[in-house]
Amino acid sequence: MTPRQRLVLLGLAALVLMPAVMRIALALPAFGAPEAELGQAMNALVPGLRHVTNMVAAVNFDLRGIDTLGEEGMLLCAVTGTTVLLRGARGESGRERAGHLPGRPVTPRADATVLVCRIAATLTLLFGLSVALHGMTTPGGGFQGGVIVASGLLLLYLGEGYEGWRALIPPPVLAVLEGGGAVLFVLCAGLPLLAGHPALQNLLPLGEPKDLYSGGLMVVVNAAVALSVTGSFGLLLVEFLEETREPADDPVPEDTLPEDPLPDEAER
Amino acid sequence: MSALSLLDALPWLVAVWLFAVGLYGIATSRHCVHLVGCLTVCQSATYVLLLGIGYVRGAGPPVFYDHPPGTPAVDPVVQALVLTDIVVGAAVSALLLALAIQVQKRRGTLDPQALRPLRPPPSSLE
Amino acid sequence: MTGLVAALLLLTALSGLLVVLARDPRRQVFALSGNGLVLGLLFLALQAPDVALSEIAVGTAITPLLFLATLAAIAMDRAKR
Repeated sequence: MTPRQRLVLLGLAALVLMPAVMRIALALPAFGAPEAELGQAMNALVPGLRHVTNMVAAVNFDLRGIDTLGEEGMLLCAVTGTTVLLRGARGESGRERAGHLPGRPVTPRADATVLVCRIAATLTLLFGLSVALHGMTTPGGGFQGGVIVASGLLLLYLGEGYEGWRALIPPPVLAVLEGGGAVLFVLCAGLPLLAGHPALQNLLPLGEPKDLYSGGLMVVVNAAVALSVTGSFGLLLVEFLEETREPADDPVPEDTLPEDPLPDEAER
Repeated sequence: MSALSLLDALPWLVAVWLFAVGLYGIATSRHCVHLVGCLTVCQSATYVLLLGIGYVRGAGPPVFYDHPPGTPAVDPVVQALVLTDIVVGAAVSALLLALAIQVQKRRGTLDPQALRPLRPPPSSLE
Repeated sequence: MTGLVAALLLLTALSGLLVVLARDPRRQVFALSGNGLVLGLLFLALQAPDVALSEIAVGTAITPLLFLATLAAIAMDRAKR
Protein backbone atom coordinates (compact mmCIF):
# COMPACT_ATOMS: atom_id res chain seq x y z
CA MET A 1 0.00 0.00 0.00
CA THR A 2 1.45 3.37 -0.95
CA PRO A 3 1.42 6.21 1.58
CA ARG A 4 -1.16 7.99 -0.57
CA GLN A 5 -3.57 5.04 -0.47
CA ARG A 6 -3.10 4.78 3.27
CA LEU A 7 -3.92 8.46 3.72
CA VAL A 8 -7.07 8.14 1.59
CA LEU A 9 -8.15 5.12 3.66
CA LEU A 10 -7.54 7.04 6.88
CA GLY A 11 -9.52 10.01 5.55
CA LEU A 12 -12.44 7.77 4.59
CA ALA A 13 -12.42 6.12 8.03
CA ALA A 14 -12.34 9.53 9.71
CA LEU A 15 -15.24 10.73 7.53
CA VAL A 16 -17.34 7.71 8.47
CA LEU A 17 -16.49 7.78 12.19
CA MET A 18 -16.56 11.55 12.78
CA PRO A 19 -20.38 11.99 13.08
CA ALA A 20 -20.58 9.15 15.61
CA VAL A 21 -17.62 10.49 17.59
CA MET A 22 -19.05 14.02 17.64
CA ARG A 23 -22.41 12.73 18.79
CA ILE A 24 -20.80 10.80 21.65
CA ALA A 25 -18.59 13.75 22.61
CA LEU A 26 -21.59 16.08 22.83
CA ALA A 27 -23.70 13.50 24.68
CA LEU A 28 -21.15 12.87 27.45
CA PRO A 29 -21.91 14.59 30.76
CA ALA A 30 -20.77 18.22 30.75
CA PHE A 31 -17.17 18.82 31.80
CA GLY A 32 -16.99 19.43 35.55
CA ALA A 33 -20.29 17.78 36.40
CA PRO A 34 -19.68 14.00 36.33
CA GLU A 35 -22.46 11.52 36.98
CA ALA A 36 -20.30 8.65 38.28
CA GLU A 37 -21.00 7.80 41.92
CA LEU A 38 -18.18 5.37 42.69
CA GLY A 39 -15.42 7.93 43.12
CA GLN A 40 -17.49 10.18 45.35
CA ALA A 41 -18.53 7.20 47.48
CA MET A 42 -14.86 6.29 47.88
CA ASN A 43 -13.99 9.87 48.83
CA ALA A 44 -16.67 9.77 51.52
CA LEU A 45 -15.99 6.30 52.95
CA VAL A 46 -12.33 5.37 52.52
CA PRO A 47 -10.71 7.84 54.97
CA GLY A 48 -12.73 6.22 57.76
CA LEU A 49 -12.41 2.64 56.54
CA ARG A 50 -8.68 2.56 55.70
CA HIS A 51 -7.20 5.45 57.72
CA VAL A 52 -5.39 6.94 54.71
CA THR A 53 -5.66 10.46 53.34
CA ASN A 54 -4.54 9.89 49.73
CA MET A 55 -7.51 8.39 47.91
CA VAL A 56 -5.58 7.66 44.73
CA ALA A 57 -3.12 5.47 46.62
CA ALA A 58 -6.02 3.73 48.38
CA VAL A 59 -7.65 2.94 45.03
CA ASN A 60 -4.39 1.74 43.54
CA PHE A 61 -3.10 -0.39 46.36
CA ASP A 62 -6.21 -1.63 48.12
CA LEU A 63 -9.64 -1.13 46.57
CA ARG A 64 -8.52 -1.97 43.03
CA GLY A 65 -5.31 -3.71 44.02
CA ILE A 66 -5.81 -6.68 41.68
CA ASP A 67 -5.93 -4.21 38.79
CA THR A 68 -2.59 -2.81 39.87
CA LEU A 69 -1.23 -6.36 40.13
CA GLY A 70 -2.12 -6.78 36.46
CA GLU A 71 -0.40 -3.51 35.57
CA GLU A 72 2.62 -4.64 37.54
CA GLY A 73 2.69 -7.82 35.46
CA MET A 74 2.55 -5.76 32.27
CA LEU A 75 5.43 -3.60 33.49
CA LEU A 76 7.45 -6.72 34.29
CA CYS A 77 6.72 -8.24 30.86
CA ALA A 78 7.55 -5.04 28.97
CA VAL A 79 10.84 -4.53 30.80
CA THR A 80 11.82 -8.20 30.49
CA GLY A 81 11.05 -8.11 26.78
CA THR A 82 13.11 -4.96 26.27
CA THR A 83 16.04 -6.37 28.22
CA VAL A 84 15.98 -9.67 26.33
CA LEU A 85 15.73 -7.93 22.95
CA LEU A 86 18.58 -5.53 23.60
CA ARG A 87 20.88 -7.77 25.61
CA GLY A 88 20.34 -10.79 23.39
CA ALA A 89 21.56 -8.97 20.31
CA ARG A 90 24.45 -7.30 22.08
CA GLY A 91 26.22 -9.92 24.13
CA GLU A 92 27.09 -9.55 27.79
CA SER A 93 30.59 -8.10 27.60
CA GLY A 94 30.75 -4.81 29.49
CA ARG A 95 32.92 -2.39 27.55
CA GLU A 96 33.34 0.71 29.64
CA ARG A 97 33.76 3.31 26.92
CA ALA A 98 30.99 5.41 25.45
CA GLY A 99 30.57 5.22 21.72
CA HIS A 100 31.48 8.06 19.43
CA LEU A 101 30.19 9.08 16.02
CA PRO A 102 32.96 9.90 13.55
CA GLY A 103 33.08 13.60 12.82
CA ARG A 104 31.20 14.67 15.94
CA PRO A 105 33.28 16.96 18.22
CA VAL A 106 33.67 15.83 21.84
CA THR A 107 33.11 18.64 24.32
CA PRO A 108 34.57 17.95 27.76
CA ARG A 109 32.16 18.22 30.65
CA ALA A 110 32.50 21.44 32.66
CA ASP A 111 33.27 21.13 36.39
CA ALA A 112 30.21 23.23 37.15
CA THR A 113 27.98 20.71 35.34
CA VAL A 114 29.42 17.85 37.35
CA LEU A 115 28.92 19.69 40.63
CA VAL A 116 25.37 20.83 39.86
CA CYS A 117 24.43 17.35 38.66
CA ARG A 118 25.83 15.72 41.81
CA ILE A 119 23.87 18.10 44.06
CA ALA A 120 20.68 17.89 41.99
CA ALA A 121 20.90 14.09 41.67
CA THR A 122 21.25 13.68 45.44
CA LEU A 123 18.27 15.95 46.05
CA THR A 124 16.19 14.21 43.37
CA LEU A 125 16.96 10.75 44.76
CA LEU A 126 16.00 11.89 48.28
CA PHE A 127 12.85 13.56 46.93
CA GLY A 128 11.89 10.36 45.12
CA LEU A 129 12.38 8.35 48.31
CA SER A 130 10.26 10.82 50.26
CA VAL A 131 7.50 10.80 47.63
CA ALA A 132 7.46 6.99 47.67
CA LEU A 133 7.34 6.80 51.49
CA HIS A 134 4.58 9.39 51.92
CA GLY A 135 2.28 7.76 49.38
CA MET A 136 -0.48 7.10 51.89
CA THR A 137 -0.74 10.65 53.21
CA THR A 138 0.19 13.17 50.51
CA PRO A 139 0.32 12.97 46.69
CA GLY A 140 2.90 10.36 45.79
CA GLY A 141 3.46 6.64 46.15
CA GLY A 142 5.43 3.84 44.64
CA PHE A 143 4.83 4.65 40.98
CA GLN A 144 5.75 8.33 41.23
CA GLY A 145 8.62 7.77 43.68
CA GLY A 146 10.07 5.06 41.43
CA VAL A 147 10.09 7.20 38.30
CA ILE A 148 11.50 10.20 40.19
CA VAL A 149 14.37 8.05 41.49
CA ALA A 150 14.96 6.87 37.91
CA SER A 151 15.12 10.46 36.67
CA GLY A 152 17.66 11.12 39.46
CA LEU A 153 19.75 8.31 37.96
CA LEU A 154 19.56 10.23 34.68
CA LEU A 155 21.03 13.30 36.34
CA LEU A 156 23.89 11.10 37.56
CA TYR A 157 24.47 10.03 33.94
CA LEU A 158 24.50 13.67 32.85
CA GLY A 159 27.10 14.55 35.46
CA GLU A 160 29.38 11.51 35.44
CA GLY A 161 29.26 10.44 31.81
CA TYR A 162 28.78 6.89 30.61
CA GLU A 163 31.85 5.32 32.22
CA GLY A 164 31.34 6.75 35.69
CA TRP A 165 27.65 6.02 35.54
CA ARG A 166 28.12 2.37 34.64
CA ALA A 167 30.52 1.96 37.55
CA LEU A 168 27.87 3.34 39.92
CA ILE A 169 24.87 1.33 38.77
CA PRO A 170 24.96 -2.48 38.85
CA PRO A 171 22.25 -4.00 36.58
CA PRO A 172 21.89 -7.23 38.65
CA VAL A 173 20.82 -5.16 41.67
CA LEU A 174 18.21 -3.38 39.55
CA ALA A 175 16.94 -6.70 38.19
CA VAL A 176 16.64 -8.08 41.73
CA LEU A 177 14.76 -4.92 42.81
CA GLU A 178 12.36 -5.29 39.91
CA GLY A 179 11.64 -8.98 40.36
CA GLY A 180 11.66 -8.76 44.15
CA GLY A 181 9.08 -5.99 44.11
CA ALA A 182 6.81 -8.04 41.87
CA VAL A 183 7.22 -11.13 44.10
CA LEU A 184 6.41 -9.06 47.20
CA PHE A 185 3.24 -7.79 45.50
CA VAL A 186 2.18 -11.34 44.59
CA LEU A 187 2.85 -12.45 48.18
CA CYS A 188 0.70 -9.57 49.50
CA ALA A 189 -2.10 -10.73 47.21
CA GLY A 190 -1.63 -14.45 47.80
CA LEU A 191 -0.96 -14.86 51.53
CA PRO A 192 -4.46 -13.73 52.57
CA LEU A 193 -5.83 -16.33 50.11
CA LEU A 194 -3.94 -19.09 51.94
CA ALA A 195 -5.46 -17.90 55.22
CA GLY A 196 -8.94 -18.16 53.72
CA HIS A 197 -9.54 -14.45 53.07
CA PRO A 198 -10.07 -12.62 49.76
CA ALA A 199 -6.90 -11.68 47.88
CA LEU A 200 -5.20 -8.50 49.13
CA GLN A 201 -7.40 -8.50 52.25
CA ASN A 202 -6.08 -5.77 54.52
CA LEU A 203 -5.18 -7.83 57.59
CA LEU A 204 -2.47 -5.65 59.10
CA PRO A 205 -3.29 -3.02 61.75
CA LEU A 206 -4.41 0.12 59.96
CA GLY A 207 -2.42 2.67 61.95
CA GLU A 208 -3.24 6.33 62.45
CA PRO A 209 -4.35 8.63 59.58
CA LYS A 210 -1.70 11.15 58.43
CA ASP A 211 1.00 8.88 59.86
CA LEU A 212 3.90 7.44 57.83
CA TYR A 213 2.48 4.02 58.70
CA SER A 214 -1.19 4.19 57.80
CA GLY A 215 -3.30 1.90 55.69
CA GLY A 216 -1.96 -1.47 56.88
CA LEU A 217 -1.14 -3.77 53.98
CA MET A 218 -1.13 -0.80 51.60
CA VAL A 219 2.24 0.28 52.99
CA VAL A 220 3.77 -3.06 52.01
CA VAL A 221 2.16 -3.03 48.57
CA ASN A 222 3.35 0.55 48.07
CA ALA A 223 6.91 -0.47 48.97
CA ALA A 224 6.70 -3.42 46.56
CA VAL A 225 5.56 -1.15 43.73
CA ALA A 226 8.25 1.43 44.55
CA LEU A 227 11.00 -1.25 44.40
CA SER A 228 9.63 -2.71 41.21
CA VAL A 229 9.23 0.62 39.37
CA THR A 230 12.68 1.82 40.45
CA GLY A 231 14.24 -1.43 39.29
CA SER A 232 12.30 -1.46 36.02
CA PHE A 233 13.13 2.05 34.93
CA GLY A 234 16.71 1.83 36.14
CA LEU A 235 17.13 -1.35 34.11
CA LEU A 236 15.55 0.26 31.05
CA LEU A 237 17.93 3.21 31.29
CA VAL A 238 20.96 0.93 31.70
CA GLU A 239 19.98 -1.26 28.76
CA PHE A 240 19.28 1.65 26.42
CA LEU A 241 22.43 3.53 27.36
CA GLU A 242 24.49 0.36 26.89
CA GLU A 243 23.35 0.49 23.28
CA THR A 244 25.31 3.73 22.95
CA ARG A 245 28.62 2.33 24.18
CA GLU A 246 31.56 1.64 21.90
CA PRO A 247 30.53 -1.31 19.73
CA ALA A 248 33.89 -2.60 18.49
CA ASP A 249 34.81 -6.33 18.88
CA ASP A 250 31.73 -7.16 20.89
CA PRO A 251 31.29 -10.92 20.80
CA VAL A 252 27.89 -11.56 19.22
CA PRO A 253 26.12 -14.71 20.48
CA GLU A 254 26.47 -17.61 18.06
CA ASP A 255 22.88 -18.03 16.99
CA THR A 256 22.37 -14.42 15.92
CA LEU A 257 25.24 -14.49 13.41
CA PRO A 258 24.02 -14.62 9.80
CA GLU A 259 25.21 -17.63 7.72
CA ASP A 260 27.56 -15.55 5.61
CA PRO A 261 29.48 -12.85 7.41
CA LEU A 262 28.46 -9.33 6.41
CA PRO A 263 30.81 -7.93 3.75
CA ASP A 264 31.86 -4.97 5.86
CA GLU A 265 32.46 -7.23 8.85
CA ALA A 266 34.77 -9.42 6.80
CA GLU A 267 37.04 -6.55 5.92
CA ARG A 268 37.28 -5.25 9.47
CA MET B 1 -26.86 26.78 23.86
CA SER B 2 -24.85 25.16 21.10
CA ALA B 3 -21.76 27.25 21.88
CA LEU B 4 -22.10 26.44 25.56
CA SER B 5 -22.39 22.71 24.98
CA LEU B 6 -19.38 22.86 22.68
CA LEU B 7 -17.39 24.50 25.49
CA ASP B 8 -18.61 21.87 27.95
CA ALA B 9 -17.37 19.21 25.57
CA LEU B 10 -13.95 20.78 25.03
CA PRO B 11 -11.96 18.05 26.87
CA TRP B 12 -13.66 15.29 24.88
CA LEU B 13 -12.99 17.16 21.64
CA VAL B 14 -9.34 17.63 22.62
CA ALA B 15 -9.11 13.89 23.36
CA VAL B 16 -10.61 13.05 19.96
CA TRP B 17 -8.23 15.52 18.31
CA LEU B 18 -5.16 14.04 20.00
CA PHE B 19 -6.16 10.50 19.05
CA ALA B 20 -6.90 11.49 15.44
CA VAL B 21 -3.66 13.45 15.10
CA GLY B 22 -1.65 10.56 16.54
CA LEU B 23 -3.35 8.14 14.16
CA TYR B 24 -2.58 10.44 11.22
CA GLY B 25 1.06 10.51 12.33
CA ILE B 26 1.20 6.71 12.56
CA ALA B 27 -0.35 6.28 9.11
CA THR B 28 2.02 8.73 7.41
CA SER B 29 5.20 8.08 9.43
CA ARG B 30 8.39 7.35 7.51
CA HIS B 31 10.53 6.53 10.56
CA CYS B 32 9.83 3.90 13.23
CA VAL B 33 11.02 6.09 16.10
CA HIS B 34 8.74 8.91 14.93
CA LEU B 35 5.94 6.34 14.86
CA VAL B 36 6.47 5.47 18.53
CA GLY B 37 6.30 9.20 19.36
CA CYS B 38 2.95 9.45 17.56
CA LEU B 39 1.72 6.46 19.55
CA THR B 40 2.44 8.31 22.80
CA VAL B 41 0.26 11.16 21.52
CA CYS B 42 -2.56 8.64 21.00
CA GLN B 43 -2.01 7.45 24.58
CA SER B 44 -2.20 10.98 25.94
CA ALA B 45 -5.71 11.22 24.45
CA THR B 46 -6.87 8.58 26.93
CA TYR B 47 -5.31 10.48 29.84
CA VAL B 48 -7.13 13.69 28.89
CA LEU B 49 -10.43 11.84 28.42
CA LEU B 50 -10.25 9.95 31.73
CA LEU B 51 -9.13 12.90 33.86
CA GLY B 52 -11.72 15.12 32.16
CA ILE B 53 -14.47 12.64 33.07
CA GLY B 54 -13.43 12.63 36.71
CA TYR B 55 -13.13 16.42 37.10
CA VAL B 56 -15.64 18.14 39.39
CA ARG B 57 -15.98 21.89 39.06
CA GLY B 58 -14.72 23.76 42.11
CA ALA B 59 -13.52 20.59 43.87
CA GLY B 60 -10.04 19.92 45.22
CA PRO B 61 -7.67 16.98 44.77
CA PRO B 62 -8.70 13.65 46.36
CA VAL B 63 -6.13 14.05 49.14
CA PHE B 64 -7.53 14.82 52.58
CA TYR B 65 -4.37 15.82 54.38
CA ASP B 66 -5.00 19.56 54.72
CA HIS B 67 -8.73 19.44 54.09
CA PRO B 68 -10.92 17.30 56.34
CA PRO B 69 -12.61 14.32 54.67
CA GLY B 70 -15.90 15.47 53.21
CA THR B 71 -14.62 18.51 51.31
CA PRO B 72 -15.59 18.24 47.63
CA ALA B 73 -12.95 16.33 45.69
CA VAL B 74 -12.53 15.01 42.17
CA ASP B 75 -12.90 11.33 41.24
CA PRO B 76 -9.91 9.28 42.50
CA VAL B 77 -10.68 6.14 40.46
CA VAL B 78 -9.85 7.61 37.05
CA GLN B 79 -6.73 9.21 38.50
CA ALA B 80 -5.52 5.82 39.71
CA LEU B 81 -6.16 4.36 36.24
CA VAL B 82 -4.21 7.14 34.50
CA LEU B 83 -1.38 6.96 37.03
CA THR B 84 -0.62 3.31 36.39
CA ASP B 85 -1.20 3.76 32.67
CA ILE B 86 1.47 6.45 32.37
CA VAL B 87 4.13 4.29 34.01
CA VAL B 88 3.24 1.12 32.13
CA GLY B 89 2.85 3.07 28.87
CA ALA B 90 6.41 4.37 29.18
CA ALA B 91 7.69 0.81 29.62
CA VAL B 92 5.74 -0.32 26.54
CA SER B 93 7.20 2.58 24.53
CA ALA B 94 10.63 1.38 25.63
CA LEU B 95 9.79 -2.10 24.30
CA LEU B 96 8.80 -0.60 20.94
CA LEU B 97 11.99 1.44 20.81
CA ALA B 98 14.01 -1.71 21.49
CA LEU B 99 12.21 -3.34 18.55
CA ALA B 100 13.12 -0.31 16.41
CA ILE B 101 16.80 -0.72 17.33
CA GLN B 102 16.63 -4.39 16.34
CA VAL B 103 14.96 -3.53 13.02
CA GLN B 104 17.76 -1.07 12.28
CA LYS B 105 20.42 -3.64 13.17
CA ARG B 106 18.91 -6.44 11.10
CA ARG B 107 17.53 -4.55 8.13
CA GLY B 108 19.53 -1.33 8.03
CA THR B 109 16.44 0.84 7.55
CA LEU B 110 13.71 2.29 9.71
CA ASP B 111 11.25 3.36 7.04
CA PRO B 112 8.10 1.26 7.53
CA GLN B 113 7.48 1.61 3.80
CA ALA B 114 10.81 -0.07 2.96
CA LEU B 115 10.32 -2.98 5.36
CA ARG B 116 8.93 -6.14 3.82
CA PRO B 117 7.69 -8.96 6.02
CA LEU B 118 8.92 -12.55 6.01
CA ARG B 119 12.00 -12.34 3.88
CA PRO B 120 15.58 -13.16 4.97
CA PRO B 121 17.62 -10.04 5.69
CA PRO B 122 19.26 -8.61 2.53
CA SER B 123 22.75 -9.15 3.99
CA SER B 124 22.41 -12.96 3.90
CA LEU B 125 21.09 -13.11 0.32
CA GLU B 126 24.37 -12.42 -1.48
CA MET C 1 -14.99 25.89 33.17
CA THR C 2 -12.04 27.89 34.33
CA GLY C 3 -10.01 29.70 31.72
CA LEU C 4 -6.80 28.04 32.91
CA VAL C 5 -8.05 24.53 32.18
CA ALA C 6 -9.40 25.61 28.77
CA ALA C 7 -6.10 27.27 27.85
CA LEU C 8 -4.10 24.22 28.93
CA LEU C 9 -6.41 21.91 26.97
CA LEU C 10 -5.86 23.95 23.82
CA LEU C 11 -2.11 24.00 24.50
CA THR C 12 -2.20 20.19 24.86
CA ALA C 13 -3.94 19.88 21.50
CA LEU C 14 -1.32 22.16 19.92
CA SER C 15 1.68 20.37 21.46
CA GLY C 16 0.29 16.98 20.42
CA LEU C 17 0.04 18.29 16.86
CA LEU C 18 3.63 19.53 17.03
CA VAL C 19 4.86 16.08 18.12
CA VAL C 20 3.25 14.52 15.06
CA LEU C 21 4.40 17.23 12.64
CA ALA C 22 8.03 17.12 13.80
CA ARG C 23 9.10 14.60 11.16
CA ASP C 24 12.77 14.57 12.13
CA PRO C 25 12.90 12.21 15.15
CA ARG C 26 15.62 14.30 16.79
CA ARG C 27 13.33 17.33 16.80
CA GLN C 28 10.39 15.21 17.79
CA VAL C 29 12.14 14.29 21.04
CA PHE C 30 12.00 17.90 22.17
CA ALA C 31 8.40 18.31 21.03
CA LEU C 32 7.61 15.16 23.02
CA SER C 33 9.28 16.58 26.11
CA GLY C 34 7.28 19.81 25.76
CA ASN C 35 4.11 17.78 25.32
CA GLY C 36 4.90 15.92 28.54
CA LEU C 37 5.36 19.17 30.43
CA VAL C 38 2.08 20.63 29.13
CA LEU C 39 0.25 17.41 30.02
CA GLY C 40 1.74 17.54 33.52
CA LEU C 41 0.54 21.11 34.02
CA LEU C 42 -2.92 20.18 32.67
CA PHE C 43 -3.16 17.31 35.16
CA LEU C 44 -2.18 19.70 37.94
CA ALA C 45 -4.97 22.07 36.85
CA LEU C 46 -7.40 19.13 36.78
CA GLN C 47 -6.65 18.54 40.49
CA ALA C 48 -4.61 15.37 39.92
CA PRO C 49 -1.28 15.99 41.68
CA ASP C 50 -0.43 12.27 41.79
CA VAL C 51 -0.78 11.91 38.05
CA ALA C 52 1.05 15.18 37.38
CA LEU C 53 4.07 13.98 39.40
CA SER C 54 4.44 10.80 37.42
CA GLU C 55 3.71 12.46 34.06
CA ILE C 56 6.34 15.14 34.65
CA ALA C 57 8.98 12.57 35.63
CA VAL C 58 8.10 10.12 32.86
CA GLY C 59 7.03 12.50 30.10
CA THR C 60 9.72 15.15 30.35
CA ALA C 61 12.73 13.13 31.50
CA ILE C 62 12.61 9.38 31.04
CA THR C 63 10.74 8.89 27.75
CA PRO C 64 12.73 11.59 25.88
CA LEU C 65 15.97 10.08 27.14
CA LEU C 66 14.95 6.62 25.93
CA PHE C 67 14.19 8.17 22.52
CA LEU C 68 17.56 9.95 22.48
CA ALA C 69 19.41 6.77 23.42
CA THR C 70 17.56 4.91 20.66
CA LEU C 71 18.51 7.58 18.11
CA ALA C 72 22.14 7.44 19.29
CA ALA C 73 22.19 3.64 18.90
CA ILE C 74 20.66 3.94 15.42
CA ALA C 75 23.14 6.63 14.37
CA MET C 76 26.05 4.46 15.54
CA ASP C 77 24.67 1.50 13.65
CA ARG C 78 24.37 3.64 10.50
CA ALA C 79 27.93 4.94 10.92
CA LYS C 80 29.16 1.33 11.15
CA ARG C 81 27.51 0.32 7.85
